[in-house]
Amino acid sequence: MGESEKGLIEFDIRGQICPSTLLTTLREVNKHKAALKCGEVKLAIMTDNRDSTTTIPDSVRNMGYTVSVNKDQDCYRILIGKIEL
Amino acid sequence: MFRQTFMLRILLLLVIASMGLFELARLAGALAYYPYPWSGSASLSHIVGAFLFGIGMVLAGGCVVGTLYKMGSGSLLSLLAFFGLLTGSVVYAEFHPFWKALFKDTLVFSGRETLPQLLNISPTIPVLIIIVLVIALYVGPFHKLPWERESVVEGYVQPWKAALFLALIGLLSYIFVGMPLGITTAYTKMGALIEQLFFSEHVSNLSYLQTQSLDYIPPFSEVSIKGGAGPQFDAVAVIQYPIIGGIVLGAALSAVLLGEFKLRLNAPRRQVVSVAAGGIVMGLACRMTPGCNVWHLMGGLPIFSLQAIFYLIGLVPGAWAGSWILKRFVVR
Repeated sequence: MGESEKGLIEFDIRGQICPSTLLTTLREVNKHKAALKCGEVKLAIMTDNRDSTTTIPDSVRNMGYTVSVNKDQDCYRILIGKIEL
Repeated sequence: MFRQTFMLRILLLLVIASMGLFELARLAGALAYYPYPWSGSASLSHIVGAFLFGIGMVLAGGCVVGTLYKMGSGSLLSLLAFFGLLTGSVVYAEFHPFWKALFKDTLVFSGRETLPQLLNISPTIPVLIIIVLVIALYVGPFHKLPWERESVVEGYVQPWKAALFLALIGLLSYIFVGMPLGITTAYTKMGALIEQLFFSEHVSNLSYLQTQSLDYIPPFSEVSIKGGAGPQFDAVAVIQYPIIGGIVLGAALSAVLLGEFKLRLNAPRRQVVSVAAGGIVMGLACRMTPGCNVWHLMGGLPIFSLQAIFYLIGLVPGAWAGSWILKRFVVR
């Protein structure tokens, strides 16, 4: 885990598989819940597990957060932001 | 609601589509066997085996087929789960006599393999009832729920299309091989092949690995073929090895074409242990039931196999228990 730019927390779970990828992400979302909610931070999850590009957004969106998925050079980057009002 | 039921609805679609296709094929006289070879009576031991399978599947990060396609696309964790599966499958051979005795002691409705046989009715009746009920659900309470999932990944196939395609593959297998898709006996064969390199005498003394449990005349043939879980190249190898090879190679080819094939192991130690242990438990469970989720849910449930119904009863709480273990001890 690392903070690459202000307010962006990167979490590298490349090489890991479901359902651990989902549970790990949910653990991180809950850990940074307060800062995520008010838009103070964003969480960037880097994964190369294709299943996670649907399971993570489905679950996190269901919790009310904004989510976007983009393909980086060698992984998918799931960006989780503040709760939609 | 969407998150909780989406994949369940897709699984239901797969079972219902298989049910309809199998029944149409049976009525058309296209099925050489009904029920199929390797089917059998249900036992309470199936519930225990399926419960363990559910735990193993969640800990290993995929079922026996999921493990293969993830391994094919470069996941070293799934490769570890694969070796766990081989290990668990041959470990089962060590206590097969005990499990066989337990199976016999807990047999239920002996001699009757399906619900229609038990009730002495035509399979068409429960098939029609279930299909009408499910259609009523889909046009009733489920009608507003989406069938498609938003995805940005290249080459993504909507699950409902995959479910219908899988039902068709299952039907082709039933018509041309005489039974639905199954691969887990081949896992034991591969495990026994490796074990034989080191302990050849021990392998030749294990009754489970010497038994030829498959003995039937395939459709469109007049010659009987035989096979079992032992290391020899036999009918089981001819039927199941190509499926395993096809899934691994297909996944590898797909990952290469998408530019996503990469060998990487970057998991925490707890997850590595969980995957290996899950593979072993799943391998053991596959021989206890016998068969995996694909065999029972895509093959048995559509013909109301009592084994498959018992399997489902054990699988659901097993998967729940696996999730609990994962949350409590692995991802924390």
